[in-house]
Amino acid sequence: MPRLGADGAPPVLPIASLVLGAAAVAALGLFVLLDPAALTGYLGTPRVVALNHVFTLLFVGMVFAGTLQQLPAVMFVTRLVWPRLGWLTLPLLLAGSVAVVVGFATGFAPAWLAPGAAAVSAAWVLMLVQLVGTARQRWPKDAGSHALLLSALFLTLAVALGFVLAAARTTPALAARVGYPVQLHFTIGLFGAFLLGIVGSGQKLLSMFALSKGGAQWRVRWATVAVTAAVAAEALAAFARLPLVTVAELLLAAGCALQAWEVLAILRRRLRKRLEAPIRRYVLAHVFLPAAGLALLLGRGDAAVILFLVGFVGLAVSGMLVKILSFLTWTWQFAAATTGGVSGGAPLLRDLVKDELEPIVTWGLTLAAVALAAATVWRADVLAVLAGGAMLLAGAALFAQSWHVVVVTVRSKRRLAAAAAAKSTRGKMEDAHA
Amino acid sequence: MTVTEFTEINAAVPARNVLEALHAVIDPELGLDIVSLGMVYTVAVVDSHVAIEMTLTTPGCPLHASIDADVRHCLGQVPGVGEISVDLVWDPPWTPDSMTPDAKRSLGFFY
Repeated sequence: MPRLGADGAPPVLPIASLVLGAAAVAALGLFVLLDPAALTGYLGTPRVVALNHVFTLLFVGMVFAGTLQQLPAVMFVTRLVWPRLGWLTLPLLLAGSVAVVVGFATGFAPAWLAPGAAAVSAAWVLMLVQLVGTARQRWPKDAGSHALLLSALFLTLAVALGFVLAAARTTPALAARVGYPVQLHFTIGLFGAFLLGIVGSGQKLLSMFALSKGGAQWRVRWATVAVTAAVAAEALAAFARLPLVTVAELLLAAGCALQAWEVLAILRRRLRKRLEAPIRRYVLAHVFLPAAGLALLLGRGDAAVILFLVGFVGLAVSGMLVKILSFLTWTWQFAAATTGGVSGGAPLLRDLVKDELEPIVTWGLTLAAVALAAATVWRADVLAVLAGGAMLLAGAALFAQSWHVVVVTVRSKRRLAAAAAAKSTRGKMEDAHA
Repeated sequence: MTVTEFTEINAAVPARNVLEALHAVIDPELGLDIVSLGMVYTVAVVDSHVAIEMTLTTPGCPLHASIDADVRHCLGQVPGVGEISVDLVWDPPWTPDSMTPDAKRSLGFFY
């Protein structure tokens, strides 16, 4: 049986990764506020691509990477192999992601993009090897774990393809050979990596946090099959020029529908009626799936991507971030406490979270997603400013929440340790006196 | 609702006292004690050796190490308790019916 902190990576790694991920949301909001016009014009500009990668690499990527240092040990019920690999992969990922963002923001600068993309790709390849190595010790049979494994594979592929795309910009020979499959990069990243990551981890985590008897394995399995088939269809469309884009879209819609159905099924079978705020945010995220689908049907592809990425992925990931961080820090500090757990004075997990910050994160991100999508449709700067402000607020609240969780837990442990030491000293003095 | 089984052989401490002490072990996520949650299946006391057979809400529960440590910590404070062993079992699996009515109510189970 694995123990968080002992059988995963050193806890400081995933904790730092999650807190940095939260900070990236605030940074993105600030960048949007500083340049709202970037989002109401042509969306292929270097500045917009940079903004996109702040969200995907520095927020979702860092949270995903941090989670993968601990979650597999729990999901696969085994020990993480090479737990100290995180000391290499997480700094590599952070430095590479920053370099990629700077490379895009400064006008597709190869001097930043090449080493950045190489570092991010290397980090994800190493994490994928670590994840598969962990799974091989006790190969998981459940569909959720399979979806999680595939999502890590797709994230690695998306990053590698991003590397190829960046290289193709400066190398005409490469561009002529592979073309410029941006759509495939999107599909693998958004759906293969992010959707399947949420599908896989969500089935386990939502069931656990809602005290649910769980959903159905078949739904998760078919969602995984649908998304994988969509990626394959998109790849054939990109490289073999086969007319499979519509097929891919239908398969992705099926995958999304199955995920929404699964979440509803888990909720219907839950024992815990009053869900905590971060879990409610995770659930609310799924409202953006049909919203994104509707935007796509209306021919608003850019708005659909924003609703999916900022709305669905943003809300789901930020919700789970708070819960995972609470578990991680609590276990890090109290799992081996000689003073006992809650009976010895340790706080409850829900006491680590500042309740008043949660609505700011939830509704800030919701407003940011809607306003950002609307800004791209109506080309209105004021909507982009609104989106930037809401995202800055949500990101700041998410960062403050993450920081609060860590600080409150560490302080509680120190207070208990000091009290235990004082009690021990008092006892010794009384003994000596006697 | 779980009915905990007791076994006593030359017991240094009554098994019921051991179960009573386990009320102090709180699940950090749910905020309820493990006895009210119906997680304690058996309490066996042989001389001063106490053996607990218990479960958790889910096999992958990341809090199992801390709950295990808390059980040992709480039982270690009961006079007469010597060696302590804690076995986590998954059969029968934990279900909502394992909880006491009060525990269900406090989780909002009844509204």
